[in-house]
Amino acid sequence: MADDSSPPLKTARQAALAGAKAAAGLPSFMLMASLIGVGGLCRDVGYPMGAAVASTLLVWAGPAQMVLFGSIAAGVALPLIAVAICVSSIRFVPMCMSILPLMREPAVPARDGQPARKGTPTWLLLILAHFVAVTAWVEGMRRLPGMPKPERIPYFLAFASTVMLAAAFSTGAGYYLIAKLPPALAAGLLFTSPIYFTVALAAGVRQSVDWLALVLGFGAAPLVALVVPAGFDLMVGGIGMGTLAYAIHRLQRARRDGGAGA
Amino acid sequence: MTATLAALEHWSGGLWPYLVVILFGFLPSEIWRWASVFLVRGLSEDAEILVWVRAVATALLAGVVAKLLLVPSGALAVVPVFWRWGALGAGILAFFAFRKSMLAGVIIGEIVLVSAALLATG
Repeated sequence: MADDSSPPLKTARQAALAGAKAAAGLPSFMLMASLIGVGGLCRDVGYPMGAAVASTLLVWAGPAQMVLFGSIAAGVALPLIAVAICVSSIRFVPMCMSILPLMREPAVPARDGQPARKGTPTWLLLILAHFVAVTAWVEGMRRLPGMPKPERIPYFLAFASTVMLAAAFSTGAGYYLIAKLPPALAAGLLFTSPIYFTVALAAGVRQSVDWLALVLGFGAAPLVALVVPAGFDLMVGGIGMGTLAYAIHRLQRARRDGGAGA
Repeated sequence: MTATLAALEHWSGGLWPYLVVILFGFLPSEIWRWASVFLVRGLSEDAEILVWVRAVATALLAGVVAKLLLVPSGALAVVPVFWRWGALGAGILAFFAFRKSMLAGVIIGEIVLVSAALLATG
């Protein structure tokens, strides 16, 4: 190690430990609160507890799991449920596309006596992508950029699997508990996702373009819901408002750079 | 299609619920995550297009939050609309008042919402 100016790198194990520790507080609590209801929905359709837990481990998206069991309960045909889930899950594309490059190490060819280094293998990227959902995304986008690159994958894997295990446990517990909850508490549990996502998004803002996207996406949602057919409104609003925020950001940058040059 | 599904349900027996979760929940959502792995090939972490992609993801999630409050499900629907937004606003204020503490934001927001729910349900 020639470079003494930067703090020593954490080992993979230390980075993983830090990730698990970061997950153990608010992120796990909020996921437990929001997935407890999925267990109850699963029991309502007469499926075993294992199916509820499996849905958390495999689908790993609270709203999609609620759509799955809620629609089965309502008697919707299974292929139609799959289409609804497929459409709503398109949101994973911008989420995965923005977080995966933060973790992936590019392949480096041998040069200057340094041996060649393999990039992050595809199978590992597929596993990382599976863990991407709102919680892991907002927390990862907030924390990973400040970390040395080799620490990011162990940190993220440990963080995401910790919250996933907590959520899976809560889904299983909710299978037996949910019917007994007083309504005010049940409302509080359902409110954890919106309030947590909001403050986490606000905490993750890095540039003015993020603020713009946040405020525009939030403000436009009621209007978009009126004009765009249900199921597509989130996607249309996201692309529309995200693009608008980016366009404003580009204009501001161009004006600033132009001003500096004059 | 229906006949095929019925045959599959019969054949899988007790494992049918798990098969439903995999075929109609896991696969339709996972393909997008896997597709993204191939879409980001060759993009470096500071590629300009990722600023736009992140803006889209942020706007999308903001829309998800707004929709959770606009069209609330289950028990959240008993809380009057004013208090749903009021609780969110209180949480945001607390987040900034306590020097960007997420915990403060979540706790204050929850206190306002549960109090309103208690009053609404009696």
